[in-house]
Amino acid sequence: MIRRDSLYRRLLTWLLLPLLALGGLMVLQAWVEARRTADRAYDRLLEAATLAIAEQVQWQEQRLWLDLPPAALEMLATDAEERVFYALYDAQGDFVTGNAELPADPRQVGERGDTLLYRDIDWHGLAVRQGIRRARLEDWRQRERFEVRVAHTREGRERLAAELLRGNLAYILTMAALAVGILLLAIRAALAPLTRLRRAIRARDPRTLSPLELSLPRELAELRETLNDLLARMRRVRANQERFIGDASHQLRTPLAGLSARAELALRQDDPARWREALEAMHATSVRTSRLAIQLLSLTRLDNPEYRPELASLDLNALARQAVRTHWHACHRDGIDLGVETAPAPVRIRGLDWQLEEALGNLIDNARRYGARHVTVRTHASPPALEVEDDGPGISPGRRLLMLRPFHRGSEDSDGSGLGLAIVDGIARTHGARLTLEDASGGHGLRVVLRFPGDTP
Amino acid sequence: MRSGFATLLLLWLCAAPLAMAEERLHYPAAPVAGQATGQLVIHGALDLVHIRPLLERFHRQHPGIELTYRNLGTLPLYERFLATPDEVDVLISSAMPWQYRLANDGHAQPLGSAAAAAWPDWARWRQELFAFTFEPVVMVVRRELIERFGRPQSHADLLALLQRHGTALAGRVVTYDPSRSGAGYTYAIEESRLSPRYWDLVAAFGQTRAQLVDTTGEMLAGLAEGRYWLGYNLLGSYARRVVAQDPALEMVIPDDYALVTQRLALMPRQAPHPRSARRFLDFLIGLEGQRVIAEQTALGAVHPELEGQGTADRLRATHGEALRPLALGPGLLATLDDLKRQALLARWRREFSRDSAAGD
Repeated sequence: MIRRDSLYRRLLTWLLLPLLALGGLMVLQAWVEARRTADRAYDRLLEAATLAIAEQVQWQEQRLWLDLPPAALEMLATDAEERVFYALYDAQGDFVTGNAELPADPRQVGERGDTLLYRDIDWHGLAVRQGIRRARLEDWRQRERFEVRVAHTREGRERLAAELLRGNLAYILTMAALAVGILLLAIRAALAPLTRLRRAIRARDPRTLSPLELSLPRELAELRETLNDLLARMRRVRANQERFIGDASHQLRTPLAGLSARAELALRQDDPARWREALEAMHATSVRTSRLAIQLLSLTRLDNPEYRPELASLDLNALARQAVRTHWHACHRDGIDLGVETAPAPVRIRGLDWQLEEALGNLIDNARRYGARHVTVRTHASPPALEVEDDGPGISPGRRLLMLRPFHRGSEDSDGSGLGLAIVDGIARTHGARLTLEDASGGHGLRVVLRFPGDTP
Repeated sequence: MRSGFATLLLLWLCAAPLAMAEERLHYPAAPVAGQATGQLVIHGALDLVHIRPLLERFHRQHPGIELTYRNLGTLPLYERFLATPDEVDVLISSAMPWQYRLANDGHAQPLGSAAAAAWPDWARWRQELFAFTFEPVVMVVRRELIERFGRPQSHADLLALLQRHGTALAGRVVTYDPSRSGAGYTYAIEESRLSPRYWDLVAAFGQTRAQLVDTTGEMLAGLAEGRYWLGYNLLGSYARRVVAQDPALEMVIPDDYALVTQRLALMPRQAPHPRSARRFLDFLIGLEGQRVIAEQTALGAVHPELEGQGTADRLRATHGEALRPLALGPGLLATLDDLKRQALLARWRREFSRDSAAGD
């Protein structure tokens, strides 16, 4: 099974792990605290017992004397029935009396008369808590020091500590359960807008491109805005496409209607000369129509963002000369002066020759159609550029961008398709070149420049 | 300290009547299919006459267990155990402080059975030490004394009697010598804790020139012979048997307070046959063993479900408030304190001779 990455799981992990670590620390601390509290409570017993014993220590018959109060020992044993040990030691550390020779505590607590020391020791295999009282006789003459050592096993302390810990654990566990529950709810609540967004997107009609209207927290609102931007762009693209399709069908319908009308007309007549005339006219129209279809196809292909042709190295000068050679006859027939001015050295770029040829052809054709008398094809070396200048009526700067749209024609009466500049623009984009429309150098006319990226390679 | 204990133990030993070097009961194993087998070694300071019914019943129940009982004095018992702690499976003694001390020092292992858990709290310490008998400390009085002065029912009566008729009773009162008898010493220390008037009683004993002896047996013998009219602080379990056979004697359980001693059983940590030991202890504090104690001995059964003759329950019903069992707690350790003993005995001697000193 593939464990899919999930925001929910991530949040849960990164919040729960520290929470658990914290809980563990709290339990540890509760345990230490419970032990300390139990020790504090039970150390009071050691204190009381040593005090009760110390009070009975006297100087009698030239020695330390103890009338051991049984209550002092009974004090040390609680309900837990601890084992009890006691001993009295004199100033020299010699055993005076007791039921066990308990070890001395090396620690020194000042020189004050009455001091108490507690510690945990392991004594003959028993874990015991020892209490030592250092005291001195307050007799008339004697100021003898002595030490009362008592010890008992830890059962009572452990029982109390366990009880305290149990109470604390119940508290900590309840807290932890609450915290985890709140955490789960909080994460779920925080991630709810994401679910709403997902549902809103899923619930949409795939054809609608209207923006998402959904109130979301800031982080997701950014995502929503980005999505809406994308949708807006897609809307524009689709509008263009719809217009293009409309225009294209309109463009194709006109010549086809002409063709059918012409054929109908010819069929009504019997004169073969008329037929021939009609056939010639129909031929011209179908040629124009097929050219239009070809242009539409190439434009569609150029508009396809997925289209990534293999670019080859080529010389712009050769290209320009070839284009002039190709179109010279047609121009010459119409009395147009077609010339070429090339850069002194070959201008090499990476590109598709057939596309660039078509672009040049379209530009020359456009110039011819719109009444130019002189058309000049130029190349520049740095930056590599291809330019076609004419002395026709030109285009006013405000309309230049419009001219790049498909089916937009400079004038209504022309028989052009209105696709020429759009195709050139598409070719320029394929080559990463920049297409600009400028005023010609002569003051009137149009100059179309294709500036290719980079220097001459 | 050690020598101090030794002397004290020696005294206790003297207090145990009929203590002999090697009294022994042996029940060979007679294995029966499906029955537990094994060995069991019991050392006890408990006369054969008391232990025999118990052992017989146990042996009938578990014939597969080879049973050895040695009756020792409390001192040999204690010292022999310390010398070879891995020799014996169950240790029984009437010397409560010494048994307590062994358990306190960690020589016993817990029983942890259902019977042990059900055993009353006041008659056990941890799960290691079990008091399984209930023996009051009593007075034994001769008819002559009752006829002349009435029957002393309490310590107060006794004190009044001694103070009023000291001369008539001179030499006719007998009790333990606490400096020579461990039992007498234990009772003295307990009674002095109960009330300061105990010292008046000691002074009154001194006044009547009370005889001081070592054992209950000695006291009973003197009372039976008529040498003494009143015995004070006799072990009830022994006195009951003698009094029952001698119409001249009467046993009095004082109605203000009566000490109660108990025999303590423990299972040593290094017991060689722990399974048998557990089985025996369970029997001892179980209904059956306790019933044997109630019906066939004078020891007094402790089991809370038993009632009727020979049980703690019956004794409680008749003497209720007055009974003062020796607390099974660390207070017993104080009894063993050497300086404590010296201090108490000094005081005892002083009070006992208070009057004669004043008279001098």
